[in-house]
Amino acid sequence: MTTTEAVPRTAGTAPEISRAHTLRQVLHVQSFQILLVLMVIFLAFTALAPDVFPTWGNVRQIIQNVSILGVLGIGMTFVIVTSGIDLSVGSNLVFSGVVAAKVMQAMGDSGWETAIVGILVAVGCGLGWGLLNGVLIAKAKVPPLIVTLGTLGGALGLAQVITGGVDIREVPAVLQDTIGYGNVPGTTWPTISLIAMVLILIFGTVLHRTRFGLYTFAVGSNEESARRVGVKVDRQLISIYALSGGLAGVAGILSLSQYGTTAIAGQSATNLNVIAAVVIGGTSLFGGVGTIFGTVIGLFIPAVLQNGFVIVGIQPFWQQVAVGAVLVLAVYVDQRRRAAAARGQSAKPDGKKKLYGRRSN
Amino acid sequence: MKLTPKATLLAAALLAATSLTACAGGSASAGSSAGDQPKLTFIQGVAGDEFYVSMQCGIDAAAKAAGATINTQGPAKFDPTLQKPIVDSVVASQPDAILIAPTDVAAMQAPLKAAAAAGIKVILVDTTVQDPSFAASAIASDNKGGGLEAFKAIKNLSPNGGKVLVISTDPGVSTADARVAGFEEGAKADSTFQYLGVQYSHNDPAEAARLVSAALAKDPDIVGVFAANTFAAEGTATGIRQAGKQNQVKIVGFDAGPAQVKQLKEGIVQALIAQEPASIGTQGVEQALKAIKGEPTEKEIQTGFKQITADNISGDGAKYVYKSSC
Repeated sequence: MTTTEAVPRTAGTAPEISRAHTLRQVLHVQSFQILLVLMVIFLAFTALAPDVFPTWGNVRQIIQNVSILGVLGIGMTFVIVTSGIDLSVGSNLVFSGVVAAKVMQAMGDSGWETAIVGILVAVGCGLGWGLLNGVLIAKAKVPPLIVTLGTLGGALGLAQVITGGVDIREVPAVLQDTIGYGNVPGTTWPTISLIAMVLILIFGTVLHRTRFGLYTFAVGSNEESARRVGVKVDRQLISIYALSGGLAGVAGILSLSQYGTTAIAGQSATNLNVIAAVVIGGTSLFGGVGTIFGTVIGLFIPAVLQNGFVIVGIQPFWQQVAVGAVLVLAVYVDQRRRAAAARGQSAKPDGKKKLYGRRSN
Repeated sequence: MKLTPKATLLAAALLAATSLTACAGGSASAGSSAGDQPKLTFIQGVAGDEFYVSMQCGIDAAAKAAGATINTQGPAKFDPTLQKPIVDSVVASQPDAILIAPTDVAAMQAPLKAAAAAGIKVILVDTTVQDPSFAASAIASDNKGGGLEAFKAIKNLSPNGGKVLVISTDPGVSTADARVAGFEEGAKADSTFQYLGVQYSHNDPAEAARLVSAALAKDPDIVGVFAANTFAAEGTATGIRQAGKQNQVKIVGFDAGPAQVKQLKEGIVQALIAQEPASIGTQGVEQALKAIKGEPTEKEIQTGFKQITADNISGDGAKYVYKSSC
């Protein structure tokens, strides 16, 4: 099924050209459309609540609330591009937060030194779970769904063992004041969002502009082909799951800063929300296709929908219906595009013509 | 007509936008016709739970009587990471007052304090936060008293004493923790009873059933279980049934949703400790309106309990049963 796409990308003769082509193609096909959907939703709510919805204060809240999911979304995009899945991110986040909180609690003071140790511990814990996922998937050949389902339970269970199930609420004040609720000095831009944005830019570049990113796409398109042209597939997979885990650790410290509690009982739906965002953003669950940009847009669609629904005063249950519909629609579009690609990509220019044709009517 | 993905997506987006406009039209016009009537928002701990529905009924009725508009929102799960974005969005919509059941004492502190700082009156209903000094009023059941009441109910059912267990929801939920503390205090003060501690079912009936089965395997002579909320009670009953010990183990549940009342009528649960969510809601609206007008409010209000058993369920206990719709 994927051979027509995989061959040009993994051939290795002219990776720069083929990758640039792929990037452009993907941007044109789905991320751009999804951006259009986001804009339509935004404009609809702007029309409904012109005094409240399009204000910077409100948009700032949306951006702030999406930031933690954004950090998780980076790793998830890498993982799903390899046609894998990481269900453990939410539990990993909680575990990293718990261990970091425990260490910081033991150190006692609430200054930057403690906070930095906490950050390192959290990232370390996340990385550890990620490595475990990666090794089990790449070396032991256990399917990613099962491995990460296992670590989902394992990480959450251990977090509960460590704390006795009781949330730790002693978080250094510097973390809460600067990262959690602080702004970038001189602006009203939330620090937590700046951190997420920097990470998104770094790893967006890694995925779309480096050899590591190219190999990630290669593994996702066709693992066997990638292996045959000399990509160290096992090492690539382990690195990617470790990346996802490490970012979950970062998200753990961000969550700790923002909520001031380890929120052990929370984050239960985080993994699915992130996966939904990645898929809405045009990353294919079958691997080989995806953009970080799309994931960011995919995160904003549910967030803007929820925000708008609350402001307009629509029953909360409808929010889930709307997000579910967008998700299914996104996957449907992905399937259509894949079918078109298999037929030789003839459907694309046609589609463009029809789009403009209908608009003018 | 052949639909291309792009056209499909655009059509769907337009459809979504128009339907959004359509269904929002009603509530928007209701809001604008309200004029200078107070605008209230109620944020539930979790959407669709009978306890919060009953509270919503009380709030709706009180708001209607006072001519205030009310917008009810709630997260899909009892989870601070899901509730915070809702709170932020509500604050952006600038209601006159927020009635909220916070899902975590620490996580909801900062967002609600920010709401109060933005000039919105905050009324805490049922649950609370670490430092509720910013709130105009905090209205809740005396949960510790409720836990003690639950112990008394078990004592009535098993006067000879024995081993007792608590199945709670999640640690860190202020109301559930207080119920457990009240029960523990009562059980430890009475030498005929042996307190086996608390297990957490994470709001999952299946988990509660597993915990109770395991506890019965370890201590087959348990005489009573206090299930601290709706889901815990459902699961506890299942676990005891699986072990075939319905006659030996007495269950006292907290809350009186339709499922618990059914269990009570069937004899699976022997007593229920009912709160008064509608009364919490009504008083919440009263305090909110006072706060908006600038009148003094009562900082802390405690509402009562009702012990419901098979004897009074068709009598004076009936009105304490929670509603699944108004």
